[in-house]
Amino acid sequence: MTRVLITGLGPVSSIGIGAAAFESGLRAGHCGIRPIGSFDTTGFPRVLGGEVQVFDAGSILSRIEPEEWGRSSQFAAAAARLAARDAGLQWERIDPERVSVVIGTTSGEAKVTEMFAQQLVGGGFEGVDPDIARRLPADRLSSAVSAELDAHGESMTIATACSASNYALGYAYDLIVSGEADVVFSGGADSVCRWAHAGFLRLGAVAERTCSPFDRDRTGMVTAEGGSMLVLEKAELARARGAVPYAEFLGYASNCDATHMVMPNASSIADCISAAHETAGVKTGDVDYVCAHGTGTPANDVTEAQALYEAFGGDVPPVSSIKSMLGHTMGAASGFGAIASALAIARGFLPPTIGWSTPDPEMAWLDPIPNRHRQAPVRVAQNNGFAFGGNNAIVMLGAAS
Amino acid sequence: MTNVEDRKTELRELVAEVLEIEPDELTDHGDFVEDYDGDSLRAIELLARIERKYKIEIPQQELATMRDFDAVYAVTAGYAGWRS
Amino acid sequence: MTAVAITGAGVLSAAGRAPAELAAALSGTATPECDPGEPGLGVPGFDTRAELGRKGTSFFDRRTALAVVACRAALEDAGIDLATADRKRVGIVLGTSAGSVKSSVEYAVETFTQDRPHMVNPGLFPTTVMNCAAGQAAIWFGLRGVNATLAGGPLALVSVLRYGANLLSTGQADVLLAGVVDELTPHAAWLARTTGLPASTQPGEGGAVFTLSAARREAAPDAEILGVALGFAPEFGDRPAALGRCVRRALASAATVGADRAGDVTTVSMRSTADERQDRAMWRAVCRAAEEAGARKPESLTTRRHAGDCGAATAALDLAALIGRHRASGDLDGRLTVLAAHSPEGAVGAAVVRGWSRGPDQG
Repeated sequence: MTRVLITGLGPVSSIGIGAAAFESGLRAGHCGIRPIGSFDTTGFPRVLGGEVQVFDAGSILSRIEPEEWGRSSQFAAAAARLAARDAGLQWERIDPERVSVVIGTTSGEAKVTEMFAQQLVGGGFEGVDPDIARRLPADRLSSAVSAELDAHGESMTIATACSASNYALGYAYDLIVSGEADVVFSGGADSVCRWAHAGFLRLGAVAERTCSPFDRDRTGMVTAEGGSMLVLEKAELARARGAVPYAEFLGYASNCDATHMVMPNASSIADCISAAHETAGVKTGDVDYVCAHGTGTPANDVTEAQALYEAFGGDVPPVSSIKSMLGHTMGAASGFGAIASALAIARGFLPPTIGWSTPDPEMAWLDPIPNRHRQAPVRVAQNNGFAFGGNNAIVMLGAAS
Repeated sequence: MTNVEDRKTELRELVAEVLEIEPDELTDHGDFVEDYDGDSLRAIELLARIERKYKIEIPQQELATMRDFDAVYAVTAGYAGWRS
Repeated sequence: MTAVAITGAGVLSAAGRAPAELAAALSGTATPECDPGEPGLGVPGFDTRAELGRKGTSFFDRRTALAVVACRAALEDAGIDLATADRKRVGIVLGTSAGSVKSSVEYAVETFTQDRPHMVNPGLFPTTVMNCAAGQAAIWFGLRGVNATLAGGPLALVSVLRYGANLLSTGQADVLLAGVVDELTPHAAWLARTTGLPASTQPGEGGAVFTLSAARREAAPDAEILGVALGFAPEFGDRPAALGRCVRRALASAATVGADRAGDVTTVSMRSTADERQDRAMWRAVCRAAEEAGARKPESLTTRRHAGDCGAATAALDLAALIGRHRASGDLDGRLTVLAAHSPEGAVGAAVVRGWSRGPDQG
């Protein structure tokens, strides 16, 4: 059986750009959540977002021109370039046909959609810049990455909303195991936009002052953005070139609640967790850390906790939500979770849930790794991703033996 | 002037639309969740449509009481300043 | 890859609602005109409530309703009774370009036109995500298996076939509802016309969903997916060669799973663009790869003249029409078709399909 290693990380996030900065951000419990600046928030009763405020795509990208691409594509391509550098790939020894790209997203080029709407309001279809039509398709996210890397293998964009990165990572893993690819760049990207903020706000899901997952008094999530990318590499090739892997990709599972478009379902998630453990060949007792979906909404966190309790038979390892620091980066979110999990395994620490103060009696047993990271060996980490449409996907990572 | 019955008819149509039933299936005291398969998303949807139609704002806390047609009418009338 | 069987097809289009109707439209000479005032060739008379009723559909956008109806038609066509199926083993894989552009753009419009920017419609928020149709279809049919949405644009169908084949070969599902469906709205029509339709092509609507399962000897499928290969060519000039390589890889895969006469490639489906020169180069590259394997001058199959250009869903209608043709004539048994696709950014892909006349309708 072919094994798959994670040999490079490329986070473009509000708490750090690049693996080292992101790791320091996680360890320090930095908060990237601020009042939104990328659109006019006049009239919105809540205004927090997790924007990547200092993002200069041109300083990171080597091949593509940032102005040719939308913000989400830029996030994806910049994250991929960082991940490629981090992996130290020797491009001259790699067949570009064997390098594939699989990117997850919720809203694709959400800012292009926003501009489309704004121009439509201003002057009807005649008033809309024709270039918007070219920029709107969501498959451009993976195309931007393939073009930036000069990767000639398959290039796919998976649009399963907020678990899309985990779907992408799972498919990336299968591409290597089935012999279709040697190296796959996989993760996700999304951009903060006016209409998604409005939508979550109208659902009553947006946090008032802080995002405090698993806290009794949590008030909701915060929309956020960024690009998350991991390099998955066929183990024997990674070993042959002397790469130092962060972690091994052990397996994944996905399923669908098929009950409600927005309300998560604990028993379905529990099924997904058990299936992920089974395909990864791990037992519940092997899991040392759960990187939660943990949006900070009352409904998600209690449902996720119930599912964990059920799947782990009550003996749940420490669970944290990095969304307490980043906000909810949508399609990039489970990619960031996978990066955090890989770092947890490689460096031996548990990322914290910040902004946490009061246990929720509905999950009093839960250890959210409150406010400060914890030094601890992590052999196996579980990365949860749930989404609108009931699209659950869970990725299991382990120490590279 | 719009009278109470006209307003109730209009509001009943709006609530029925959200619950995906015919207006005459909606009784004054039938529980949205128990009797008409309502859920939290439909509750927020109802609130949003009422706010938009009558140009009013109703705090989300009111959702807890808006469980049947009578209660919805009372809350809406209160915020819209309708005299009954 | 292992072969995948197509056991049924659900079709929606201006040119018909069944594979046979599509195939018949293709062999006819009549080309439909769209009604004045309409943005293009819609699915005639399609109305969400008339098709699906009131319950459970008030938060459906048109794309979602079309997808659910196409899934239902595919299940019926394949004779699959979900009452006896293990619904955790039945999944859905739908392709798209950007979901319902009307739904997301109009949602954003509301933030500019309402009294306060967040006075948007909460129930419709899920229609703004690209996986709305797949998620709602899962709820409608109670399907708890893998549920995926792929943003493939022109490559949506070949991506869905590729992804679906992986799910089946890795044992993640027993049966998949897989396809591409798109709506016709003023927004979709604007996008189609702005990105460039060939002369005389109207924006269209609809698509097709297929029931897929791992191919087994004893079964008599409509068609089999024998190979799918995808790639990417950043440089414009390299794209025909890259597409040719995909065709060769897909044909090589077909040879390993039992198509011993790859020379039987008789048909090619490839959506043309506004760039005729590049289209010709792409067409030559596909034909050259097929001819190397022994094919003689494959013919082009396209539903666009009759069903309009359905964007990402166009290739799905082509495949449905192909199935209709095979069902109608045993003479075509075992013949191969190449579904080829390319995107403006450089993604390329090809699938090799073998058709049969002994579909479920034929007993």
